[in-house]
Amino acid sequence: MTPTEALLSTRNLTVKYPYGDVQNVVIDDLNLDLYPGQIVGLLGESGSGKSSLALALMGLARHPGVVSGEVNFRGQDLLKMDDEELRQIRGNSIGLITQKPRQALDPLVNVGKQISRVYRAHSQASKEEGQIRAVELLRSVGINDAERRVSAYPHELSGGMAQRALISMALSVEPDLLIADEPTSGLDVTIQAQFLDRMWERARDANIAVLIVTQDLGIVANYCDRIVIMEDGKIIEDRTTVEFFANPHTDYGKKLILSSGADAKASNADVAVITSPEILRVTDLRKTFEVDGGKRLQAVSNASFQIHKGRSLGLVGESGSGKTTVGRLILRLADPDSGEVWFKGERIDAISPKEFRKYRSKIQAVFQDPFDSLNPRWPIERVIREPLDLHTQMNKEEKSARVKELVSLVGLTDDILPLRPGSLSAGQQQRVSLARALATEPEFLILDEPTSALPPAARADMIRLLKSLQERLDLCFIFISHDLSTVRELCHDIAVMYLSEIVEMGTSEQVFSAPSHPYTRALLDSVLFHDPNNRRVDRKIKTELEGEIPSPVDLPNGCYLAARCPIAEQRCRDDHQELIQIGPSRSVRCWKSVEASK
Amino acid sequence: MRRYVLRRLAVGVLQALGITIAVFFVIRALPADPVSRIVGMNPTPESIAQARRALGLDMSLFQQLLTFLGFHGNGVFTGSLGTSWVSGSTILSEIAITLPTTIQLIVTSFIVALAVAIPIGMATARRPGGKLDKGVFGYGLFAGAQPEFWWGLMFIFVFYFKMGIAPAPLGLLDPELTAPDAVTNFILIDSLIAGDFTAFKSALGHLVLPVLTLSFLLVGPLLKMTQQSMSRVLSSEFILYQQASGLEKKSIGRSTLRAALAPIITLTGILFGFMLSGAVLVESVFSLNGLGQYSVAAVLNLDFPAVQGVILVISVISLFVYLGLDLLLAKIDPRILVK
Amino acid sequence: MQKRKIDPLLLIGLIIIAGSLFLAVFGNSLAPYDPQEPVGDFSMPPSADHWFGTDGSGLDVFSRVLAAPRVDVAIAVTAAIVSAVLGTGIGLYAGYFTGRFSEIVMRISDILQSFPVFILAMVLVTLTGRNVVNLIFVLAFLYTPIFVRLTRSEVLTQRTRTYVEAARATGNSEFQIATRHVLRNSLAPSLVQLSVTVGFGILLTAGLSFVGAGVRPPTPEWGIMIASGAPNIILNEWWTSVFPGIAISITVFGYAAAGNAIERWARK
Repeated sequence: MTPTEALLSTRNLTVKYPYGDVQNVVIDDLNLDLYPGQIVGLLGESGSGKSSLALALMGLARHPGVVSGEVNFRGQDLLKMDDEELRQIRGNSIGLITQKPRQALDPLVNVGKQISRVYRAHSQASKEEGQIRAVELLRSVGINDAERRVSAYPHELSGGMAQRALISMALSVEPDLLIADEPTSGLDVTIQAQFLDRMWERARDANIAVLIVTQDLGIVANYCDRIVIMEDGKIIEDRTTVEFFANPHTDYGKKLILSSGADAKASNADVAVITSPEILRVTDLRKTFEVDGGKRLQAVSNASFQIHKGRSLGLVGESGSGKTTVGRLILRLADPDSGEVWFKGERIDAISPKEFRKYRSKIQAVFQDPFDSLNPRWPIERVIREPLDLHTQMNKEEKSARVKELVSLVGLTDDILPLRPGSLSAGQQQRVSLARALATEPEFLILDEPTSALPPAARADMIRLLKSLQERLDLCFIFISHDLSTVRELCHDIAVMYLSEIVEMGTSEQVFSAPSHPYTRALLDSVLFHDPNNRRVDRKIKTELEGEIPSPVDLPNGCYLAARCPIAEQRCRDDHQELIQIGPSRSVRCWKSVEASK
Repeated sequence: MRRYVLRRLAVGVLQALGITIAVFFVIRALPADPVSRIVGMNPTPESIAQARRALGLDMSLFQQLLTFLGFHGNGVFTGSLGTSWVSGSTILSEIAITLPTTIQLIVTSFIVALAVAIPIGMATARRPGGKLDKGVFGYGLFAGAQPEFWWGLMFIFVFYFKMGIAPAPLGLLDPELTAPDAVTNFILIDSLIAGDFTAFKSALGHLVLPVLTLSFLLVGPLLKMTQQSMSRVLSSEFILYQQASGLEKKSIGRSTLRAALAPIITLTGILFGFMLSGAVLVESVFSLNGLGQYSVAAVLNLDFPAVQGVILVISVISLFVYLGLDLLLAKIDPRILVK
Repeated sequence: MQKRKIDPLLLIGLIIIAGSLFLAVFGNSLAPYDPQEPVGDFSMPPSADHWFGTDGSGLDVFSRVLAAPRVDVAIAVTAAIVSAVLGTGIGLYAGYFTGRFSEIVMRISDILQSFPVFILAMVLVTLTGRNVVNLIFVLAFLYTPIFVRLTRSEVLTQRTRTYVEAARATGNSEFQIATRHVLRNSLAPSLVQLSVTVGFGILLTAGLSFVGAGVRPPTPEWGIMIASGAPNIILNEWWTSVFPGIAISITVFGYAAAGNAIERWARK
């Protein structure tokens, strides 16, 4: 499908970064055509040049890069235009949305002025008109108190808010081409779905050409008509999305498809009565933090659950839901305000930090950031050996043998032992963390988003590894994640958290096949399956949440979801909701869901 | 904003007071005997006792401090820094003569240094890795730490002795000229007030080598900072985004400059505070008789009130300079007030 | 990893540092004449006998330039090391175990750092007695707060990193985390500063003697030598001041260059 004439086409496009006499080529002699109304996904590993290409399509390069070749936009070469002509096209006919919304805003100027500047650069509007337009635009992207927000500085905005401000700037002038460089990285899944839906509708309605730079196969499968893959500054694959998913040509493409969890199934579907002994029990856990101005941020409230030997619990939620804090409270990296933590029948939240240290060999953890989790100055051997030094009486030979055993257990080889963390890939680093956590044969693990910071292929490998270890070692763990499909693959039970509370709990099978709470439903709906034949945009009924997540400092009186919930009634806004059991090992915090289940 | 200023002022005043009191005790705690300097050779016990009484050293340390602060008659709180043990005149009047010379030297040097460093730093930031860039790096590294008094001597040797294009390095004016009436004690300003352009030209001439010496060193760190700050802003996300939004070049240029300015201002403040006492060496090379030379004499003569006075005055000036620059920063960058 | 290429700046710095340390130890023995005794005519320009000439008291300038590092470099290096060790230790403690002690330490170092350095150094040295040992104490005292500050702020950053949390979860005590994990990762700024501080120490030592508030003549010391030649430079007797000045200039540059190279290396 090649409709009409190309809107933008590059010929021999090259971007170089000079340093003294050295030239670093990031875009190499590249030809690409973009058509009106077509949404193109630009994929590639980091460093492949995709972000540079996104900029080069506007004739731009990050300082001090140089763009050469041809960029023909509606038949005119951008690179031959003078500054004024070029300026009229940028931000007017071609809009850009960047990856880091807060950094893209000038930190020294308020948002209203910035929007007004862009608007006035492409119109004859006066300062006053610009300011009025800024308020209109902010309101149009769903910012509530736009009159007040125009005078806010970027550091006073949340990431989501800043992203909206950028979108309002990019769309203020009805561009013909929209370039979006990883526009949703760092956004929560429900917000991401909101944003992408709007963009998709907009592109379809106004026949805009869109280029989305992304690493997420889900976004591509759900929203893009065509896929372009880059490697080393060149295009290595360029086909329609459906063709690509059916039969990828390049190694990178094949790896991507292979790594996608398109066939994710809940593997552990037993709802049978659990007979294995209880390992961990948490009751009424509550934690608040003091924030500026003496207010208190509610991080976790009334969290209760238990985990039995050989089982795994997935703790799911968006940023700020409190899922990570729950893990930290169990690990005694923070102390709860109230509530109890029991480990194999012993209460472990009230003992002294020194006493707790002897439990450390039994309760271990893996954290989200692979590199940051390892002491950068220590060789891998020492990192993995550390728990053995601290908790065992092993001699040198025994330790060395155990370290080698652990390395091969997590699928690494001995030759990494003398290296420092900095010279390993993120996937390898995370395996080292896992080896360290397993060193003392702990009875319980907390895995805090161990796969979120990994590139797609490494993520898939890590999940496979965890799954095989789970079977071989009969591991018992909490898996904290915002990624529902991963949780589904790895966990027997699931607890969904929203704004410090558990809103729904049950076995994986129960929750995934019949989500009960409106938040869970929205969360499941915003999962972008890696399958172009099952697209979110084609679905008839969608549970959508509106607006932003409220601040955990000023929580509403009633149900915390009420303001965003599509089925909220007055009662929801008045009464705070309790977690109510609606079946064996299944409970939900929503009176409407409880009634529906009867 | 007002609360921010008041808080900064309060902290600053407390700090200056803390410094003054600390100096007061440190001086007296150390094993040195100022009395022997004053009574001369072969003193009698009576003359020593009399001198101690005259200097107030017979009182307890605490009483001495109270006197110094102004609880018994005039003191710091009533705007007096006491009288010199050596000359007998008030410290304030002596500082009023010497301080302007130092300020004049430093301010002129900063103007010159900034005028050189900012444009060159900005130009090199646009072309990293070039010859000029490497030159700037080398110079910044070299001038960052150098014996300024020696460089002063070298400049005298070359420009005065060898080439004869600079005046003799002796004071603020040619010796045959009479100084204009002292109004502000800034000789450049006083000569203008008096309408004496010969004196003005001579004073300016005498300023050239000392200013060259100081700015030769100051340009190093300022240049390096300008360049770093500028390349950081140039490669920043928001400048890129402004270009992508099709803003006018002039407007982007203004944003760049504004964003790059903050670290330069901060560094200027730190260097200025450092120079208030660091100019001593250059003053002494060029016999400028500024605050620095005054403090050297005070220390070597064990003239405690003068030492205390100089340190207090320098601390207070630094305080106001830092405060002024911070206000400027807060004006440029709204994030400052958050902290 | 890139191929191993030695940073030329580091090489230059290390050569100069090695040279200065060598002279600090052997300078005296290498000097052709006694650096403290008149050896010839007054104020003689450089010649075959006296490579750098003689000064106004008939001392051999070359011998004195060689012998001076025993004073200048020794003072600066010792003071820098003492203040680095002290400052890093205090900074680690104050940064890792925030609390009352940490607050007090920071307030004291605030006050110390807002003193006019040169005047304070003059006061302290003059009042304690102008000799080498006192100079070392004074310099170490003045420079310690810099290391406290640097280390503390680095420790504050390191403390928030996940590896510290991981170390705690692995079962380290707080003391073990501070000394085994955080300290090692917080050393880079102090290491850079150590080299830079030696340079500043040399400048301060020489500067103090230049205004007559440092070690006493006729000790072979670069600042004293420059001062003794200063009045005569306008009489064309340039050699007395020029050579010791070049020596300071090169030495100080060497330490600054090494510091900069270490910084670049540490940033990788």
